Amino acid sequence: MSEPNAPQTPETPEAPAGPYVYDYKAAPNRQITMPKTVPLPSHRTYVAEQKAAAEADEAKWQKTLADYETAKAKAEAEGKDAPKPPVRPVPRKDDTDMKPPVPQEATDPDLLKLQALLGDKVEEVFEQAGELVCQVKKEAIHEALAFCRDEAALKYEMLADQSGTHYPAAKDFACSVVYHLTSISRRKRLRLRILVPEGFAPESACSLYPSANWMEREIYDMLGIRFQNHPDMTRILCPEDWEGYPLRKDYPTVGWGQRDISFREDRGGMLERIALQKAGQLGINLKQPKAE
Amino acid sequence: MGMNQPSALEHILITTKVEKVMNWSRASSVWPVTFGLACCAIEMMAAGASRFDFDRFGAGIFRASPRQADLMIIAGTVTYKMAPIIKTLYDQMPEPKWVMAMGSCATAGGPFDSYHTIQGVDKVIPVDVYIPGCPPRPEAFIYGFLKLQDKIMTSSLADRYKDIFEEVG
Repeated sequence: MSEPNAPQTPETPEAPAGPYVYDYKAAPNRQITMPKTVPLPSHRTYVAEQKAAAEADEAKWQKTLADYETAKAKAEAEGKDAPKPPVRPVPRKDDTDMKPPVPQEATDPDLLKLQALLGDKVEEVFEQAGELVCQVKKEAIHEALAFCRDEAALKYEMLADQSGTHYPAAKDFACSVVYHLTSISRRKRLRLRILVPEGFAPESACSLYPSANWMEREIYDMLGIRFQNHPDMTRILCPEDWEGYPLRKDYPTVGWGQRDISFREDRGGMLERIALQKAGQLGINLKQPKAE
Repeated sequence: MGMNQPSALEHILITTKVEKVMNWSRASSVWPVTFGLACCAIEMMAAGASRFDFDRFGAGIFRASPRQADLMIIAGTVTYKMAPIIKTLYDQMPEPKWVMAMGSCATAGGPFDSYHTIQGVDKVIPVDVYIPGCPPRPEAFIYGFLKLQDKIMTSSLADRYKDIFEEVG
């Protein structure tokens, strides 16, 4: 995690200094393969991809036509039979079920309302498989959530889920945080999304949705995104003294060797460490005896 | 009175070794800790319930405190966060004590070759009987328990105390 915007491609991460003994080079089958793409669904990206594909196809066809013209002129000059004119290939219809659904233009009134309320703070709105997605600027997430909760036309009362994903191949962001909102009274669902660069601390949703408390702690625990104004920004699943963020793509699945500690050799060593840490949180120094 | 004629005393007395009596009594009333970690605990409960009735072997009294228990059944995945707690519980149990690692997670980590899972509870505490399976059927569990009873019956007090003193150092 040296530079925020640089794509991270370490094949073997540096293990932190500590009591860990895991040797990655000795286990080549456990080395990390970092993803090369950013599989983030987006209507804008989809349209750009489609346009680029159509342009490439057109260029290829124009080149085939030009080749045909030169071949025809050459054959006429030499008095031979003219070559067969080329036929433009019809793309085969791709009807496999395994493809992800295509992101489409936003037509839902909720998305349009949200876009009108937030203005240029919205980065992107689209629908995918009938689901509403709104990507807002990372500084405006609290405002967007407040609109979604309080606006009479929206009324999304519940934050059903909040999740994060690490995208190491992305240039200008590192993680995404997704808010899954549910409106119980209107029976609708909406997805809000922000893209978070390395080191950025988004505003916590706890003041609006109390259910965000543990979910934000889990995102911090797994991905290392800290949330501002969170009442208790500590780890929730891992132990308090854990090092690293396990759901990052550059984190080895077997960890940094924490699990290889043998408690039978280190009798009570870990308990002592935890006791020292707990005492340290309370401001007691157990390590040094009190001076008389 | 000839040697082949049993005396009146021999009708009411049998001779045996003290060690054998102690082993027999220990093997016939093994009290486990009420302690389950994951899905294997469901099978452990099934083994304790009326269909399989683990109590037939004298081990049905699951104690709610490790201080009253002889046997610790590690039924499930041992995570890094849980390991010191297991260690504490084991240290709280009085001697003699035995440990059964139930299922592939407790024996070798199982399918969880991941950062949090201790690859076998024998990295934390010594294990007497390993029961394979994911999860093991109650029959397999009872078979493992019978193996533990065999182990208790063949154990010797001298060996046991030697082990303990070697471990303490």
